[in-house]
This record gives sequence, C-alpha cells and structure tokens, in this order.
Amino acid sequence: MGVPLYLEPRLAPRAASLLASGRFLHALADGLGSPLNVLLPDQLADNLARFRAVYRTHRLTGRIFFAHKANRSSALVRRLAATDAGIDVASLGELQHALGAGFTPDRIVATGPKTPEFLWLAARTGVVVHVDGRAELEQLAALVRRYGLPRADVLLRLSEFTSEGSRVLTRPSRFGTPVAELDALLTTVERCADAVRPAGVGYHLDTTSLAEKAVALEGCVRAMDAFRARGLDPRAVDIGGGFGVSYLADGEQWERYTTELTQAVMGRRPALTWRRHGYGLSHEAGTLRGTLALYPAHRPVAAEKYLDALLSHAAPTLGRPLATLLLEGLYELHIEPGRALADQCGLTLARVVEVRDTASGERLVRLAAGADDVALEEHGVLMDPVLVPRDGRQAAPDAGGPVDAGGPVGVHLAGNLCLEADMITRRTVFLPSPPREGDLLAFVNTAGYCMDFRAGEAQRQPVARKVAVWRDGDAAEGPEGSGAGPWRWCLDEEYWPVVQQHRTRQHGGGEDADEA
Amino acid sequence: MRLDSITDAIGDTPLVRVDPAVHGLRHIDLYAKLEMLNPFGSVKDRAAWNMVRPGLKAAAEGRHTVVELSSGNTAKALSLLAGMHGVSFKTVTNRIRIPEMRDLLLLLGAEVEELPGQTECLDPSSTDDPLTLFHQELSGSDSPYVYTDQYYNARNTEAHLTGTGPEIVADLGGRAPDHFIACVGTAGSSTGVARVLRAHDPAVHVLGLVAHKADFIPGIRTIDEVQGVGLFDPATYDTIATVTADDAIEGMVTLARRCGMPAGPTGGAAYSGAVRHLRALDAELTERRTAVFIVCDRIEGYLSYVRRRRPDLLGRPVHRNSVATLTDAEVAAATGIDVAAAERWIAEDRPLVVDLRSPFSYAALHIAGSVNIVDELCAELIEGGLPFSKSRPVLLACPVGEQSARYAALLTRMGHPDVRSLSGGIIAWRDAGAPLVRE
Repeated sequence: MGVPLYLEPRLAPRAASLLASGRFLHALADGLGSPLNVLLPDQLADNLARFRAVYRTHRLTGRIFFAHKANRSSALVRRLAATDAGIDVASLGELQHALGAGFTPDRIVATGPKTPEFLWLAARTGVVVHVDGRAELEQLAALVRRYGLPRADVLLRLSEFTSEGSRVLTRPSRFGTPVAELDALLTTVERCADAVRPAGVGYHLDTTSLAEKAVALEGCVRAMDAFRARGLDPRAVDIGGGFGVSYLADGEQWERYTTELTQAVMGRRPALTWRRHGYGLSHEAGTLRGTLALYPAHRPVAAEKYLDALLSHAAPTLGRPLATLLLEGLYELHIEPGRALADQCGLTLARVVEVRDTASGERLVRLAAGADDVALEEHGVLMDPVLVPRDGRQAAPDAGGPVDAGGPVGVHLAGNLCLEADMITRRTVFLPSPPREGDLLAFVNTAGYCMDFRAGEAQRQPVARKVAVWRDGDAAEGPEGSGAGPWRWCLDEEYWPVVQQHRTRQHGGGEDADEA
Repeated sequence: MRLDSITDAIGDTPLVRVDPAVHGLRHIDLYAKLEMLNPFGSVKDRAAWNMVRPGLKAAAEGRHTVVELSSGNTAKALSLLAGMHGVSFKTVTNRIRIPEMRDLLLLLGAEVEELPGQTECLDPSSTDDPLTLFHQELSGSDSPYVYTDQYYNARNTEAHLTGTGPEIVADLGGRAPDHFIACVGTAGSSTGVARVLRAHDPAVHVLGLVAHKADFIPGIRTIDEVQGVGLFDPATYDTIATVTADDAIEGMVTLARRCGMPAGPTGGAAYSGAVRHLRALDAELTERRTAVFIVCDRIEGYLSYVRRRRPDLLGRPVHRNSVATLTDAEVAAATGIDVAAAERWIAEDRPLVVDLRSPFSYAALHIAGSVNIVDELCAELIEGGLPFSKSRPVLLACPVGEQSARYAALLTRMGHPDVRSLSGGIIAWRDAGAPLVRE
C-alpha cells in the first residue's frame, strides 16, 4: 500500500469532543438510523463572532447574513436567530422558515430567482430584496403598488465589473445587472421611487480570487457614488459570500496527496482512485493535461481571514484599502457567508454494512448512505471520514501509527444505491485501522452544502434524519467548546434556543456520554 | 560593439566566477551564467526571439496578434519584440503576482488578460475551464493569433541548444562543467543546456530546482506544475530538489550584496539550491570540480515581492513627526469634540476643517467649507513640520474619529495650540443629521 495518504479533517474542539463520544454517536445512529446528520448549533454562533471581530478591526458596521441554502436545518436557523446575525433566503420556503424561526424582517434579505409569491411575502413583511435587474425591480414595484404594500428596500445586484489596465477576466454570471447598464437601472430606480427605496448595491462572484473581488467591490463603491450623484442615499454594499473553508488539518498532507495524484495520473505510481478517475487531470503523450477539479481543501486563508484579506486589499484604481474605501464612503458592509458560517457545524454518520475484497484485490466498504447523503465529493472536497468503532476499540486518528491489529488500510467507499456510480468518493480512502461491519464512519464538516442539498429518496432509501446536539454549559459567550457536561440531543425540528436551557435543567443526568 | 538590431545583442552572456569566500566551497569553482545581461533583461529573450521570429513577418502582414501564456519575462521580451516589428502582443495569465510586472507590460504596450480565479462553488462536471476555452479559441482555423506556446514549443529548447549550452562549454575551454543547476519554469533552458553538456560529457550532473508547493517563486514551477509543461521530461535531471521563497530571497541578497550581481529571485533560488547541493559533495572531494548555475533575470522588478516576504530587508527609520511615534497616552489626551459642539464651533470660530479621507470619498460627500488632505499626504507634509498656522484652530475629521485623533495628538505635540478631532468622525456627523454636501 505504501505510505498511507491521509487527508485528515480539521476538527474544531466541539466536533473533536463529539467524535470522541463514540457510544453517544452509536446510540443516536442505532435509534435514528443511518445516514444521520448531527448538527452543532453553538458552533455557528462562534463562527459568527469571528466574522464580527473582523468588522471591528476594520471599524466597519453592517449585517452578516447566513446563506440559508447551505443547510435546511431548523436548529441552525433558530440558533442564529438568537444572535445579531441576519439571514439570506433564496426561496419562499426559506423566507417562511426564517420568519418562523424568529428573524425580524430587517434581518432578512431575499436573494436568488424569485416567484411572485416570494416577492409578495418579502415586500409584505418588509424584508430587504436583493434585486437581480430592471425587470425584477419593475415587477416588485408593480406588486407593491397593486397590493398597497409598504415601500420595499432593495439591494441592486451588479455584475460584469470592468478593470483598468490589465483586463481581469471573470466567469460570466446568469445573475445581476452589468455595471455598463447602471444608468438605465438608476433611471428605473427613480421611476419606481414611490414603491422601492435603494438600500445599496451588491455582487456575488463565484471565485476564490481576491483580485477579482477587489475589482467588483471598488465597482460597487463607484456605483454608490452614481446613486449619490442622483440625490439618492444608499447605505450598504453587499459583497455576497464565497469566503471559503479549510477542510483539512494538515497542508502537507494535501500537498503530498495532490502530488501523488498527479503522479498516479501520469502512471508513475499505482492508482489512487476507483477506475483510475483523474479528478479533471488526464495524461497525454507524457504530459499532464486538464485542471485539477477539486476544492482547495487546505486553505491557509479562509472564512473570516479571507474577509480580512479582502478588506485589507488595495482598491485597484483608488489605491486605498477596500475597508478604508467603504468606511470613508460612510457605507455599511453586508456579507452573506454560507459555507464559512456553517464551518464545523455538523457531521454525517454512516453505518458500515459490509466489508469485502473485490476480485482485483480492492477493499470495498459499503455504507448505509448514498453519495447524495454525503455530498463532499459532489463539491470536490476530498477529506477522510473519521472511524467511530462499534465496540469502543481505539481508532487512533492521530499520527501515532497502527494501533489496531489491522493497521492502516486503503479502502473504497461504496454507497447504498443499486448503481455502479454510487460511490461515496472515487478516491481510495486511507484509514488508520480497518473498518468493520457495524462501525460508523463520520464525515465531518458537511453542514455547509454537503448535508441535505441533494439528498433524496431514490430507491426509497431513507433520507437522513437530523439531530441537534449540545453540551451543558456550552454557550457562545464562553471559550469555544468550553462546556464540560454530557452531550444532549433533540430532533432538529424540536430545537429552540430556550428548549436547550430548559431541558438541561429538567433532566438530572445527561444522555449516554462516555468521555474517557 | 556596433549592432544593426537590438536582437543581435541577445545571447553571448558572460560566465562569471562566484568568489569562493562567499559560497565557501573548497573544491568547486562555481560560475554564474548571467542571463540577466540579455537586452530585455532575462534568459527568456533567447527563447522569445527564437519562437516568435518565424511568424513575425506573416503576423505583420496579416495584422495578427502574438499571444502567449506568461506573467513574466517571456511576456516582457515578446512585448518588446512584437513592438519592434509593428505587431501587437497579448498575454493571457493566471494572476500576475508581481504588480510591477503588470504595469511594465502595459507600459511596453502589451494587452494583459488575467484569467478568473478558481471557482468557490465547484462544479466538477463543468467544461468551461478558462484555459481550455483559450486553447479552443487559438486553434480555430481562422485564428487571428500567432501563439508562441512556450511550454510546448521545441524552439524554446532550441534557443538554448544552439546558444546558452555551447556558450558555457566554450567559456570553460571546451569542457562541460561537472554540475549544472537550473530552476525549472518552462524547462526550455534546463533541457537545452543539459542536452548540450551531456553530449560533451555524459557524466555531467544536472540538478533541476522546483518551488516548494506552498510557496511562490517567480519563474519557477512547483513539482506538480512542471508535470503540465510539455518540454518537461524528468529524465533531463539527475536530481530534482525543492527551493523555498526564503531560499530564493536569501540567495538573491547574497548575490546582490556580496557578489555584485543584482539577480532576481529565480537566480537567487538557483544559487541557494546550488550551494546547498554542492556543499554536501564538497566535503568529500579531493580534486577540483566546476559547477554552473543560471541567473535568469534582474532584482529591480521584485521590490514588492521582497516587501511582502521580507520587509526587514527594506527597513527604513521612522520619522520623528510620525503618528507611528505616538504613545497611547498622547492619543488618548487628544482633544475630541462631538458633533453638536463641532457645529457650534465651526459657526463661531471658523476653524480650518480638514477632511483626512480619500479625494474620491471627499468628492462624494463632505462638510461644507472643509479642505481635503488625505491622510497619506498629511503624513508627508507633517514630516517636514507644521503645515497649518498656529493662529487658526483646526478641526480634523476622518470616518470614525480614530485617525483624526492621532493626527490631532501629533499636531498638538508639534506645538499647535488648538487642534480638535471630530469624535465619531463623519459617520457620527451624518448619523446626527448634520449637513454634508456634494459640490
């Protein structure tokens, strides 16, 4: 097998402590089935506080909106309602969910493609509407007039920002109004002034590149100036999300892995994937072709650090740091992180139902979960699951070497559908000890887009249930994960920030917890 | 030396011995092949000229554009060569990570297109990889481009096969060196030179240097990136070793400060990698050996690269009249004035109102009658002394009252009798409903 090419997940203290509670996790999966999604709502409040600290460093004000689409969980949304954060909703259902969870309309922004019903409820309740273009603006204004609704606050989504000097290319987007059409948009805003009030402008770019975002952010500040020139007084620049997450604990592992994957594609080492899949790379006459289609799983600068880097980045033509530009323009900054706020907020448990060796000598581990239940691969995230053994034998995820008789092993993870392609990952996964039937594999950090975005009921296989878990005394105010009490749980839809306290007081003992 | 064309000055670069007192090798003579002395400033002049020469005439007639994927010296050389021949040049790059290079390319008349960054919401089935689209555009039958294709073009290697390699052998009296060290970028120079040297002496040892994966060294690829280079063949190198950005800068500083060779980071990396590799061998040697490494380009274009990684190398003394010298107590003691009081003060005593924000923000909205001195400029003025008369009070304003408090403290220390800082800044002013104008 050679040296096991681990890609160990980065674990925040809360998730690490949960994974050490094997009997608790097994009891949950025994009772609620596999796959099972486990959420850590308190982590969300900690992540929020880290973003807020970056705002403070740069003396900026404005809202941090959680992109609801990252996860359908009620527990996460309700926990967030108990903070000062806002929420970004992209459908009628999400808007209803947010209102029902306790978000007041001033803390909600409605984005994405909208139906008339979605627009009506947003305008009726006074939610800020992130408007895609002139057509949507006019549709909203007509709705407001026709149903006698209050004047709607709108953020105008811009796109196709231009740079000076070198041309910074950006992937075309289906959304937003090109800045070249700003004048026409402003004229529409003025014509609809009886029905809508411009609260600001925004962009959302699907890129990891700071330079591209700097061009867009400066473009927004210039657009705000065009509003002022017409006597309007917009206050906020909304820069969307895309702050990223670092999934892996160890950058060296990521680098070693990608190098070995390249070598494997070049045929210079044994395959590292099921049926020699190349993750976008291919091999042609001794030269590597293609681009590695993987999420950069180890990112030294992600989440709030990425925001900090962007705000410290110089504006491409005005020269000042972007934070200074916003501050000097007297603007608020809105952000809409999804993945980055949900970082470390949940994991997906899957039961091992079969372990066998194929005729060609590959070890196949079949799970009671499908690829759509653990959508890490779908998002290009390569990260090892953590083995949670049934019998409490030590799994030793640390680098201490083999502790189980079996020692490190390379396996392929197959899903529960009767479908050749239903592999949890096409990668050979290296585990520190061999999994056995009845063990659980915990796929950590799935709360952002990798938990329920695609999960369905194909073949009448069960959709994963969701539970929220917490520990006594753990609250966002204390040091992270400081709660020392036993783990508690409830079904996701039963979770309320008050119930958490209430239950803790009512029951004397904890759930079955087994910290060593 | 009288030449008809600047292109005649390409090549024939000197091979200069590095003082043993600097590198400390006792049995090895270490030579630097000074490719930085090519007319456009780098080793790429040779490849660029050799690659573009055959297509230039047709390009000029057909009004075609020369195009290359380069964010550095190849683009620089091609810009100059294209300009000389009345042809336009476009470079398509991933991010240019050396800002000076972007401005330089624009100054030289190149068109620069920067490719988008990696997508944040990855779609593994996507087929719109920007580089793939670029290649499709170029390979169209009526493409208006002449693509020099430096990573695959055999004429890149050929430039060194006929130029750099034979020059080294000639300068060593018809012998190949025992060791040849080169950084791997397009692999053109290392492959071409290695082939010539091996033809003279199959025993020559070739060391290829690649960048550490997490690092960025201009002109050097990482071990994964070289796999995508058409000219790269692992068999060219007896050893492939890794160098870091720190190695590159250390080497660069040694060459510049001690050897009189103002080399860029690629040359610095080659020097560091060479000395590290040779030092281990040197201890066991009894007879003399020679080694040659390539100095690709010059130091001047990499100031921002050094500033980001090793600001200590550019350390400057702090000026006495600088906000950096203020103590927390001095800043806390600065006189603040709230919005309501400031409005009255302006009406009664007409202080000079100085807005420290950028001209762009000032132009958008400001306090009527204020003057705009952006903080950077204010700092520069103050270094020379008090820029305001002591006879008139001064009200300083910035976005939140933080910068203005610092400048108020500094001006007070310098002897101004009445400087006040607008507490809460222009934001508090606006939030209190005080008037702002746009003129």
